[in-house]
Formats: sequence, structure tokens, C-alpha cells
Amino acid sequence: MKKMKHWLLLCVASVVLVLSACSGSDSGSQDENAEGNKENPAANRGNEIVIGIPSEPQNWDPIDTFLLDWSTVATSVFEGLIDRDVNLELQPGLAESWEYLDDKTLQFKLRQDVVFHNGEPFNADAVKFTFDRLLGEQGQAGPQYSNYNSIDSVEVNDEYTVTFHLNTVDPVLLTKLASYGAVIVPPQYIQENGEEHFDNNPVGTGPFKMTGYKRDQEIVLEKNEDYWKEGLPKLDKVTFKVIPEASTRLAELQTGTIDIMKRVEVAQAETVNSTNYLNLLEVPTPTAFALRFDTAVKPLDDVRVRQAINYAIDRDALIEEILSGYGVPIATFQSELSFGYNPDLKPYPYDPEKAKQLLEEAGVEEGTTIDVVIPGNDGNFKEITQAVAFYLEQVGIKLNIQTADVTTLNSDLIPNGNAGGMYRQGWGGWTLDFDNTAYLMYHSGEFWNPSFMDEDVERLLEEQRNSVDQEERAAIFTELTEKLYELAPEVNLYAAVDLYAANERVVDFQPPHDDRLRLEEVSVQ
Amino acid sequence: MLSYIIRRIFHAVLVVFAISIIVFFSIRLTGDPVAVMFSAGEPTQEAIDQLTEELGLDKPLYVQYGVFMKGLLTFDLGESFRSGIPVMTLILERVWPTFVLALGGIFVALLIAFPVGIISAVKRDTFLDFGGRVFSLIGISFPNFWLGFMLILIFAVNLQWLPASGFEGFSYLILPSITLGLILSGVLARLVRSSMLEVLNQQYIRTAKSKGISKWKVILKHAFRNALLPTVTFIGLQFGALLGGTVIVEQVFSWPGIGRLIIDAINQRDYPVVQGGIVFLALVMVVVNLLVDLSYSLIDPRIKAGKGK
Repeated sequence: MKKMKHWLLLCVASVVLVLSACSGSDSGSQDENAEGNKENPAANRGNEIVIGIPSEPQNWDPIDTFLLDWSTVATSVFEGLIDRDVNLELQPGLAESWEYLDDKTLQFKLRQDVVFHNGEPFNADAVKFTFDRLLGEQGQAGPQYSNYNSIDSVEVNDEYTVTFHLNTVDPVLLTKLASYGAVIVPPQYIQENGEEHFDNNPVGTGPFKMTGYKRDQEIVLEKNEDYWKEGLPKLDKVTFKVIPEASTRLAELQTGTIDIMKRVEVAQAETVNSTNYLNLLEVPTPTAFALRFDTAVKPLDDVRVRQAINYAIDRDALIEEILSGYGVPIATFQSELSFGYNPDLKPYPYDPEKAKQLLEEAGVEEGTTIDVVIPGNDGNFKEITQAVAFYLEQVGIKLNIQTADVTTLNSDLIPNGNAGGMYRQGWGGWTLDFDNTAYLMYHSGEFWNPSFMDEDVERLLEEQRNSVDQEERAAIFTELTEKLYELAPEVNLYAAVDLYAANERVVDFQPPHDDRLRLEEVSVQ
Repeated sequence: MLSYIIRRIFHAVLVVFAISIIVFFSIRLTGDPVAVMFSAGEPTQEAIDQLTEELGLDKPLYVQYGVFMKGLLTFDLGESFRSGIPVMTLILERVWPTFVLALGGIFVALLIAFPVGIISAVKRDTFLDFGGRVFSLIGISFPNFWLGFMLILIFAVNLQWLPASGFEGFSYLILPSITLGLILSGVLARLVRSSMLEVLNQQYIRTAKSKGISKWKVILKHAFRNALLPTVTFIGLQFGALLGGTVIVEQVFSWPGIGRLIIDAINQRDYPVVQGGIVFLALVMVVVNLLVDLSYSLIDPRIKAGKGK
């Protein structure tokens, strides 16, 4: 009986503990962090870091993937002919130099002192093998193929010279070659071990080699001792831990289990800032967010209505209030990081009177309802849309907000014109060239463009594709962005700002604009 | 008994078959996996067609279903669209973590529910009973994910006693098991309480007491054993809900189990993995239910399966 009583006491005590902790959990943990300079729990880890990531791509073959999650890890394992540094500047990678022999012929001089992680040499044959594979049967079954099919063939001139013969002028090709589908893979290794083995045991030329991979749990990279860049990488080991929930990732960061956290949520920024051994890092990204119009839906077929909705919304307030300022207002559907960005265009100013006037001109009745579809899992955007609904109500338009699973929205509702009159679209613009975004969004008949069509826009889109002269293309994009601004096929809201958090022991870590973590210069205190 | 087992197995096959149809056709209503796979690229129609053909998605639905069923019969669930890895491999990799977690959850639930339920029943209408019932209510109303985060905040972040996520040893099992178990224990404690009350009122308990056997001996030896029966059934029936619970708990604690596999697959429209994963879970459910029914007749000899119906 006595024992029973003790047990019961323990039981009640633990319930009380849980309950009391629950009631004041947020403020409680913050107070503690703010008042006390807690000891850094990760201080003794040694010359290695652990990074918490939300998900991993499940396989590592570069031609099978389009996922940023792939590039987050594999940027350390593989390299391409052309590299893009952390500031997004193109620079020599495995190719030392290149030149256009004519508009459709591109020649590369290769670096001579490079070996793959398995010891096989990097040379012109490896480049040819990589692109034959990418453009051949194997690659055509994957999502990367269509990005590179302007390449007709790759010719080996000598051991360290290759020539790409193109079947069409492709102004974005160099940019694409710096992207992750075109990284160079080892021919012997793949031929000897098979594709399946390569999927799970990737080999490249990068600063780190993959030495451990537990699907959905962790990826271990170790220093490539033979890396061609002198003195790099600085770390001996990098471990990526897969932790899907942001709250759990933050907990692991606070307990020192991980050193760097990817995808910090806006709501978590405060907690990171108030912990003395953590740093919050923010970085603008090329990902733009907009509420796009289906121009086939009345009254949105009228340009005045689309402009009115643009005038009715106070973007700056949305970004400040809901995103805590972590967003950059945009005037067109691209961020300032992309080629083709027009700095002279300013977002539509907040002018409800002008909006009302335009709506009146267009004959839109007070109380007109527009369906808007947004992803159900994006809490921030839901709040943004609710605020947009509030602004629109001020000018007499009612929004009927519906949510859908994000995959269904993107792969079914939008392409089929079933996403109401307005829908959320986020776009990464992975080539960092407006071509990728603009062509897919505004060219008639494209997958993600259910209804928008304009003769001038069509012409400009084609024109910029037929030139490799970047100045000429820039001029075309200026004209195109002005035209699009006027036609308002969407309400451009903001370019996303990514938040990372890092333990203070991590030195020289620069968060990437494009999810591709570059870790060779990173070290620890 | 044998004919009963055979009949139950036949039922089980039927259930799995029905579920395979539902899963197969419902996931195909949710968007095109090829579009998802190309979602960041710039696909030509040619490339889309090619991949569609490669994945067998160009064939009529009934043909696709036939392929799936044929595979099912030979334990070949196809390959993941996303990773190209056989679905069977993916599932087998994760059966163990999910199984361990479910077991941990049941263990915690029993550990809490039995004492709370028994004491509630024995001390009926006292303060202790009231406390026990409040506890059950709290257990039932806690959302899994919230409880999980709270436990992480308290025991991993603040106290630093236990790891917050992953599956690398016994200590990693504790928090997720408590999360899963606490919620189950609420319902279970109520059940133990009511069945104990029922048994305690029976004639034979009074007889035992009058013979001078000590009170707790009567309660634990006679009453509790009889009250066990509905509990076992309940746990069996609850197994499905438990697996549902593990899905959320796996997500919160980065547990590498089947639940996370299926969630990821649904997001990616990875048809073979979704189909295979759910059919597998259905199979587990059906088998567990079958075992529960059979063990039922073992625990209580009065119930002879299939008799008297």
C-alpha cells in the first residue's frame, strides 16, 4: 500500500511537471536564455560540424533529381564544369576556361590535376561520358534531361579539351552548366558498379566524399584529402541529420546536437537570437512569391481589375507584420538576384483610392467574390492571404480562401485552370535568369500558364531566347518586365529571405542564396 | 477452430484486397507524379511523355492495377518513382523502427494505465479516483505532436536528459514512447477502471474476500486477471490508431519509420511507395486483429471461437 502511494505521488508529480511546463513553455525557455549565458553544448565536438536539414532526396544520382535538398548536400560531393560561388557569380569549376567558337559551338579547357574520390582521373572522357549519359536513354527518363537538350553532342578534342555542339542557340546554357544536373560523374566507377550502386554511393570530385548514408536519417561526408583546391576543405567531417520538423531541429540546435540549422521559421528567429551561443543568419533567395491570376476567370480578364488588386494591397505592411521583415518586396515575378531583374520598376504603391476608381471603371460591383487557392501547409502564406483579403475588402472585393495540398495545387489545379481566380505560386528561378521563370509563366500553352496570353510578351520571350548577347537580352528583359508590370498577370508579393541558424563555434559559414551549402571554407573554433 | 482461422484469413485477404483498390484509385485522383517530378525544371512535352511511359502511367488504369496486383501476389511492390529503390526494401528498412516505437508506446501505456485504472476502481469515488479520471481525460485530449514538442522542450532542451530526435539507441526511444503511450494510456486507464469495477462487483470476489484473502491479493490475482481480457482486445483494436499515432510521432522525433516513408511518398506522389506502404500497414492491422481474436479464446476459455453463433 505504501509503495502504491509512492508510485502515485510520482505519477501525479510527473503530470504536474508536464502541465506546468506546458503552460509557460515559450516564455519560460526564453527567459532562461535571456538571463543566463548558457554554456555552449557543442563546444567540444572537434573539427567537424553537424547540419540539421528537413529532408533528403533519397538518391544521389544527379540526373534523377530536381530537388534543392539534393544540392544542399551534394554540392560538397560533386562539381560541374562551371561553378557558382556563394555570391552566385559564375566562375571556373572543373573547366579552367571556355569560349564560344560560334553561337552553337562551345569549347572548354579542363583542369588537369583533378581525381574523383575513387582515384580515377577527371578528363575529357569523363565529361563526354557525363553528358552522353545525361542526354542518352538513362538521362531522358529523368527530370534533368530537358534542361540540357540544346546540347547536340560532346566531342573530345584531346585529354583536357572538349567541344559542345549545340542544336540551337541557348543563352542560358552556361548558367545551367553551373547547376547541379550537369555535375561530372566518374565513368569507370559507374560502369563497374552499376547505376543502382552509384545512387546510394555517389562519387564525385568535390571537397568532401560521402562515406555514410542512412536513408532518411543521416549523411556523412569526410574530407577529400586529394581535393584540387590547395588547403581545402578545412573541416574533417560534415554530418547531415535529417529532421523534418522545424521545432525539433531547433531543439537539436539548442542542445548542441547540430551546429547549423537549415530552414529556421520566422517564429523561431527570436529564440535563436536570445540564445547566446547561436547566430541567426539571413539570406535573400531567388524564390519569388505571388498571388497569380487566372486571366480566364471574370472579372480578372480585365487588366484594370488586376491592376486595382495590386494597388489595393500594402506589401510592405504584409512583409513587416507577418514575415517580421524577412522578405523583399518585388515588382515582377523574380528576385533582384536574377538576370533580367529591372531595378527601375517599383512595386505597385498602396493606393486604395486608385484601386476603387479602377474597379469602378471596370464595372466591378461591390461585393464581387474571387476564389483564391493556397497551399494548406504554409502557415505564413495563409496569414498573408488573410491580410490580402482584408485589404481587398476595403475596396469592395471579397476573397473566398480555399486550401489545397501543395502538390495537388501545383501539379493539377493550376495547370488545369482549376485554382480559382487567384492562386499562390512560389518560383525558385533556379537558373537565376528570368528566362526560366518568364517563359514558363507567360508563354501561352506552358504547363503552369493556364490562360495568360499577350502578343508582345510572346515575341519578347522568343527574341531573348535567340540571342547569346547578354546586353541585348538584358534590354529585352527590361522591355518585357515593363510590359508585364502593366499587364499585371499576378500580384507580386515578395522574394523569400531564408533563415539559417548556426552555433557560434562555426566559422566562415555563409548561408547560400540557393540552398547549395558551400562548406570547403568553413572551419570551427 | 481451424475452420474459424481459415474463415478469418479469407476475410483478411478480402480486406487487404479492398484496401488495395481504394488506395490505388484514390491516390491517382490527386495529381500527376510526372508533373511533380518535373516541378522545378522546364519539361518538354516529349520528356513528360517519355517518363510517363517509363513509369507505366500511360496504360489504362485497370492495366496498371493488374500490374500492381500481380506484383502484390509475388511480394513485389514495384520500385519507388523517386529513388528507384524497390518498395519492399524501403518498407523492410523501416518496419523495425516503427515496430519498436509501437511496442514502446504500448509498454508505456500499460505501465501507466494499469495502476491508474486499478486504483481508480478500487478507490472508487474518492479523490484518487477523481485524479485518475482527470488523468485519463487529459491523456485523451492531448494532441500527439504538441505533447511530443513539450517533452522535447522539457527533457531534451531544458533538462538535457534525453536526445530530442533520431533512433540510435535505447535513450532515443524514451520520449517518443512516452508521447505515444501517454495518449493511449488515457483511454486504456478508463477501460481498466470500468472493467475492474465490473469484476469487483461479482459474487466470487466477495466470496474470496470473505475467505480472508488479503484485499490486494484478491484485486490483483482474481479481479485484475479477469479485467485483462477487454484490455487485450482493446490494445489489438487500438493497434491501427497506434500506427496512425506513430506517423505523427515519427515526424516529430525524426523517427525513421514507415509513417514518415508514407508521408514523404504522398507528398511526392510516389504511387508505388504509397500503395505498398498502406497495403503493408493494412496487412499488419488485419494480422494483429486476427491474433487478438485468437488470443481472446486462449485467455478466456469460456469463449470458444466461432461457437454458439
